[in-house]
Amino acid sequence: MSGRGLRITLRGFWYLMLLFLYAPLAVVALYSFNSINSSAVFAGVSLRWYHALLADDTIMNAFYNSVVLALSSSVIATVVGTLLGYGMYTHRERRLGWLIWLVYLPIVMPDIVYGISQMSFFTSISAATGGMLDLGLTTMVIAHVSFQVPFVALLVYSRLVGLDSRLFAACQDLYANAWQRAWYFILPTLRPAIVAAFFLAFTLSIDDFVISFFTAGPESTTLPIFIWSAIKKGVTPEVNAIATLMIGAVFAAAAVALAFQYVRAGRRNAAG
Amino acid sequence: MPDVGTSSASAAGASRAARTRTLHLLAVISPGVLWIVIFLVLPSAYLMTIAFMSNGPYGLPQMPWTLDAFKQLAGYGFLGWSPGNLYTLLRSLWQTVLATGLVIAMAYPMAYYISTAPARLRPLMLLAVVVPSWTNQVIRAIGWMNILSPGSPISDGVAALGLISPQMGLFPSKFAVVVGLVYNFLPFMVLPLYAVFEKLDWGQIDAARDLGAGPLRSFRHAVLPQTLPGLLAGTVLVSIPAFGMYVIPELLGGGKSMMLGNLVARQFAEASNWPLGAAGALIMIVATLGGLVVLRRLGRKLGGDTQVVL
Repeated sequence: MSGRGLRITLRGFWYLMLLFLYAPLAVVALYSFNSINSSAVFAGVSLRWYHALLADDTIMNAFYNSVVLALSSSVIATVVGTLLGYGMYTHRERRLGWLIWLVYLPIVMPDIVYGISQMSFFTSISAATGGMLDLGLTTMVIAHVSFQVPFVALLVYSRLVGLDSRLFAACQDLYANAWQRAWYFILPTLRPAIVAAFFLAFTLSIDDFVISFFTAGPESTTLPIFIWSAIKKGVTPEVNAIATLMIGAVFAAAAVALAFQYVRAGRRNAAG
Repeated sequence: MPDVGTSSASAAGASRAARTRTLHLLAVISPGVLWIVIFLVLPSAYLMTIAFMSNGPYGLPQMPWTLDAFKQLAGYGFLGWSPGNLYTLLRSLWQTVLATGLVIAMAYPMAYYISTAPARLRPLMLLAVVVPSWTNQVIRAIGWMNILSPGSPISDGVAALGLISPQMGLFPSKFAVVVGLVYNFLPFMVLPLYAVFEKLDWGQIDAARDLGAGPLRSFRHAVLPQTLPGLLAGTVLVSIPAFGMYVIPELLGGGKSMMLGNLVARQFAEASNWPLGAAGALIMIVATLGGLVVLRRLGRKLGGDTQVVL
């Protein structure tokens, strides 16, 4: 095949793959506006399923739980993970192999093993201590933080690796103490990475179903868990509506992440 | 004790500085490290010990130590040997291999195409690949349920070709499970492959062409070896989570396409046999650790800065 032919084939394949990636999401959004209760036939545009959503207390409660869970776990994970990423960078000459293992473990482990380990662990602790760490929002926050921390740490770490290490030396030459260094240099340079990490942690939390499902208690149903039990009874257009809103939220978060990436790239270009 | 017997003041100062640095290291990393150790490493270790315990009357683990759970996993139950659990294991393995192969076939040209696009477009293109995987797993499965359900245009089209009987639909089926797996894990292959394509040494390819190698030969000897680390990293990131997948077989498979993850989950829910579930989980933990060994080896080859984030 000639170089040109290959290029055109590749471009066609790329657009086909974009269709593959976005078709399922588009279909969910389309059927959320369906005027009849069907997931195969589209009869006309209507907002009735969105109205049904707002009137449903169970859904609003699940929405509230999801937001509380995502916000609190992301805040904790951003603080803990930023410290971890910073430590991994400043002490990288020590070749902390075990630390890399520990950071990659939550990323690679299948989420079912993750959820079940924590569920059996929390249940046993709760049984042994008479109610401490009962399954509920607290155990969910703990579980979410444990898988968010590695992503935050890696994001912060890779941002620091991209910096000129002479900047750190310059700070020391200017007699900045550790606190001044953190306040005037490290935190401002890391701000884009920290903001991006927070949004990443937030979407990871909203995206998670399996780990939430196994560490949740009867009172802490989140949106994904609500959707899961609703589909088990058969997909309703109401589920499509709530799913569409969640897809919209993720797209908004992606736009923010992209904006920060371009701000970074723009600054780099201006500096170089 | 490294500082025992140091006589000079500078050596004492150096060891004090080293101690300060160690304290600093502990201060910044201990919250994250302790969190992961206490809430992930300990629970997995606990789960692994459950696998060697007996099943109590209420499905909860109890003493004495035994290998019963593993025997049950191999098919030996109260009613003699039955292949059900082994079938589930083999099915998990086969569906994982199939999905991983398809993901490679799709991700390889995509990653190459992105790496040859103008530099300012590349972050946008990578984001376009990654964003769908940020949406909830369950929601993505609903999308495929809609697309493949009986009566949908695609199902009707396939039925018109005579590949399935009318009214059947493509969902629920093993086919739908594999589609769901491919969809779910495509980005995990594109990202590491893009990382290696971005650093591709074109000199080697030119050299192969100059030496008279055709496109296929120059691909095999000049391109493939260079992209192998990314390919292996992607394979680990795709196949291990796919092997333990729970949501997709449960929603898209309709009961007959159960994978290891579903078998495990069932033991903790309705079937109430924690040791058997833990034994299944143990297999996945071992696979995870094996995958991590591969990733660590590759990390060095890929260069220290390359992070397989997302």
